[in-house]
Amino acid sequence: MSSPTPVVKMSGVGRSFGGHRALDGVDLSVPAGERMALLGASGAGKSTLLSMLNGSLMASEGVLEVFGQVLADLSPSALRKLQCRIGTVNQRLDLIEQVRVLHNVNAGRLGTWSTTRALVSLIRSRADDEVRSALHNVGMGWALHERTERLSGGERQRVAIARLLVQQPDLILADEPVSSLDPARAAETLELLQAPARGSTLIISLHQPELARQYCTRAVGLREGRLVFDVPTAELDNARLADLYTLP
Amino acid sequence: MSQLLERAPIPADAAGRGSGRRPATRRQVMLRRLTGLLIVVAPIAWALHRAVPAGTDLVNRGGLPLLAALFGDILHPALDPTFLGLVVHAAGVTLAFAAVGTVGALVIGMLGGLVLSDVAWRHRPPWPVRMIRLLLRLVLVAVRSVHELVWALLFVSVLGLDPLVAVLAITLPFGAQTAQVFAEMFDGVPPGPLRALRSAGSRPTSALAYTLLPKSAPLLLSYAFYRFECAVRSTVLLGVVGVGGLGQELVVSLQSRNWNEVWTLVGAVLLLSALVDLWSTRLRTDMAVVSCTEWSGGHEQRDPGGPEEENAMRGTGRSRSPWARWSAWVVLPGFVVAWLASDVSLAGLTSPRTQQLTGRLLDDLWPPALPAGGWPALSSAVLDTLAMAVLAMAVAVAITLMMAPLATTPRRGTSTDRIPLAPRLFRGLLWWLARALLLVLRSVPPTVWAVVALLVLFPGVLPGALALGLYTGGILGRLVAEAWESVDTRARDALRHAGVRRGTATLIATVPPSTHQLLTYTLYRFEICVRETAVVGIVGAAGLGRLLAENLAVFRFPVVTALLAASFAVSAATEVIGRRLRRAMRP
Repeated sequence: MSSPTPVVKMSGVGRSFGGHRALDGVDLSVPAGERMALLGASGAGKSTLLSMLNGSLMASEGVLEVFGQVLADLSPSALRKLQCRIGTVNQRLDLIEQVRVLHNVNAGRLGTWSTTRALVSLIRSRADDEVRSALHNVGMGWALHERTERLSGGERQRVAIARLLVQQPDLILADEPVSSLDPARAAETLELLQAPARGSTLIISLHQPELARQYCTRAVGLREGRLVFDVPTAELDNARLADLYTLP
Repeated sequence: MSQLLERAPIPADAAGRGSGRRPATRRQVMLRRLTGLLIVVAPIAWALHRAVPAGTDLVNRGGLPLLAALFGDILHPALDPTFLGLVVHAAGVTLAFAAVGTVGALVIGMLGGLVLSDVAWRHRPPWPVRMIRLLLRLVLVAVRSVHELVWALLFVSVLGLDPLVAVLAITLPFGAQTAQVFAEMFDGVPPGPLRALRSAGSRPTSALAYTLLPKSAPLLLSYAFYRFECAVRSTVLLGVVGVGGLGQELVVSLQSRNWNEVWTLVGAVLLLSALVDLWSTRLRTDMAVVSCTEWSGGHEQRDPGGPEEENAMRGTGRSRSPWARWSAWVVLPGFVVAWLASDVSLAGLTSPRTQQLTGRLLDDLWPPALPAGGWPALSSAVLDTLAMAVLAMAVAVAITLMMAPLATTPRRGTSTDRIPLAPRLFRGLLWWLARALLLVLRSVPPTVWAVVALLVLFPGVLPGALALGLYTGGILGRLVAEAWESVDTRARDALRHAGVRRGTATLIATVPPSTHQLLTYTLYRFEICVRETAVVGIVGAAGLGRLLAENLAVFRFPVVTALLAASFAVSAATEVIGRRLRRAMRP
C-alpha cells in the first residue's frame, strides 16, 4: 500500500536574495493533517520558507511540491487555483483598513469569485450565513458592519482568523502570528487557529518552544537557512534549542 | 547651571566630522548664496533685455482709449435677459465639457495608472510588458507636454468645430497627467493586504479592487474634483478655438469690443470658478488632503512616512463627511447630465470623413520642416518662449509675495497670542480681499489677459509675460498660501514661550521653511509656464505659440510638427532641470 501524497514536499530547496542565501538545500515532507512548528532565530529562513509554500516566492533551486504539484511548473491560473487551498496569516494580519469587517472576511474567498462578483460585493454590504458563522465562531458576530480601522489589535486578529475560516484552506501557514503578543493573547490566538486548522495541515513559525510543544506535534529547526533538526515536539529539548538560538 | 557650564565641550569630531559631514565654512555659505542670487537675477536680466530691446516702442498709445473704455464699463455689465440667458447656457456648456473631459481623463488615468504602477504587478513584469510600459510612459509624457489649446487646434483641423474637440483636448493631456499621479498614488498604498489576497488565490483584478480602491478612494475622489476645477479653467481657455462655452462668448465680446458683455462674462467665469474652487477645496479639506499642493507639487513637500501623509492615505475621520459622500454620489448622475448637455457624440471619431482627414493630417505633418527664416527664426522663438516664461514667473512671484502672506489663513498660536477684535477683523478682511484677487487672477484665462495686454502693448514677449504672470500669480499665490498654512509652527511657539515678540518669532521660525516652499513651487510652476507660453502666443504675443498659430492658420503642417517638437524639447529640458533643482533644494 503506497503512502498518501504529502501536502508539502521539498527536495534540496534553496533561495537566494542577491548574494545572501536565505534557504539552503532544505528537504522536508509534511503529511496531511500535520501540526508543524518552524523554529529558528530571526533571519533563519522561516518566513522565506512559508512565502515559498504559498507561491509568493519561487525557489532558486530544488523541487517544491504542494498538494503533489510542482509550484515552478504551474501556469499562473493553476497556481492561483492551488493558492485558494492555502491560507496564510501573519503578524501584520494584512487586513484592508478602509472597508468593513464583512469585506475583510469575504476577502478569504475572493479566489473562488468572479471579478464582477468581487466588485459588486465591495458596494453591497450583505453577508451570507458563512460569513456570519465565521465571525460568530471567533466571537466577533457583533462586528459584521464595523469598520476595520476601528478594531483593536485582538479584534483584528479574530477577523483575520474568520477570513481563514471562510477560505476553508487545506494548508494553513502562520508566520509568527503571536510574536508580539503577551502570553495570554498568544495562547488565545493559537486556540482560535485550531478551528480553521481542523482537518487541515498547519505550519506555524514560532519563537516560543513551549507553545510549539503545546499546539504542534512536530518541530523543525532552521538555522541560517539550513534545516538543523526535524523531531516530534515531545523530543524538543533544551540542547537543540540552545543550538538553534545561539548567535554565531 | 554651573554643572551645565562645567561640562566638557563636545569634540569637533563628534559634532561635525563624526556624522560624516564636513562643517560648512563661511566662505562656502557666501558662495552658495551668491550662486543662488545669480541663478535668480541673471535669467530675469536676460529676459528683460530680450523683452524690452533698446530703442523700440512698447506701449501702443492708440490702444489706451480702448483700455479706458474697457475699465470704464466695469460697473455697467450687460444684464439684459436675452444676454443673461446666453451666459447661463454658455456656463452650462462649459461645465458639461469640463465634466465629460474630466471623466475621460480619469478613465485614462485609472487604466494608465494601473499599468504604470509597480504595485499592480506581482513580480517584475516580463520584458514585453516592460517595453510597453516604457513606451506608454513616453507617450504620456509627450501627450501632456502639448497644451490643451494646441490639442484643440489640431483636433479642429480634423473634427471641425465639434464639441468632441473640447472634450478630447481636455481628456488627453489631463488623462496623461492623471495616470502619472494615480500610479504614484497606487504605489503609495501599503502592499501587505494585496500580497495577502494574491497569495490566497484571488484574481488579480479582484485583489486590486479590494485593496487599492478602498485605500485610495478618498484621494481619487478629491483628485477627480481638483481635475474638474482645472478642467473648468481650461474649457474657458479653449473658447479661443471656437468650440463653445463661456470662453468663446468672452472672445467674441472682446473682439467686437462689447465691454459691457465682457464684464458680464468675466463675472460669470469668476462665479463658476469660485463655486468649483470652493467645492474642490472643501472636499480636499474633508479628505484630510490639506491643500492642492498635494497634487500640484508632485508629492514632494511631504515626508511619505509623516503623520499628515499617513492621515491623508488613511482617509480617516473626516473622509466620511457628508460633503464627501454627497460628492461621490453626484459623480455618476453628474456625468450623465453633462454627457447629454454637452451634445458630444463619439460617432465623429470613427466617421469616414474623420478617418480621411486624420490620414491627411498625419501625411501633412510628416516630414517636419523649419519655419520661414529657418533655424534662426526657430531658435529666436525658443528664446522668446523662455524669456516670456522667466518674466511671467517674476511677475507671478511678485504677486505671490504681496498676496500669499495675506491669503494664508492665520493659525492659532500660543495662548499669549490673543489678538484684539479690531485687528482680527481687519486681518480677516485682508484675507478675503487677497483670496478674491487671487481667484480673479487665476479664473480669467491667460488668453483674455493677453488680449487686454495687447490693447496697450505691441505684440512681443512683454504682453505675453504679463498675461501669463497675472494668471500664474493667481495659481502660485494660492499654492504658496496653502502650503504656508501647513508650515510647522512649533518652533515659532517655542520662541514665543521664550518671550520673543510675535513678529520676530514668526519671522525667524517660519520664513526659512516658507521660502523653501515658495522656491519649490516657483520652479514647479515655471515648468508649467513654459508649456503655457503657447497659449498666449496663439493670441499674438510671441514665441513658439505665435509661430504655431501662424502656421496652423495657413495649414503649414510640416512646420507645425517642427514647432511641436521644439516645444516638447523645451518643456522636457525645463522639466528635467527643474526636477534636479527641486531635488537639490530638498532639506
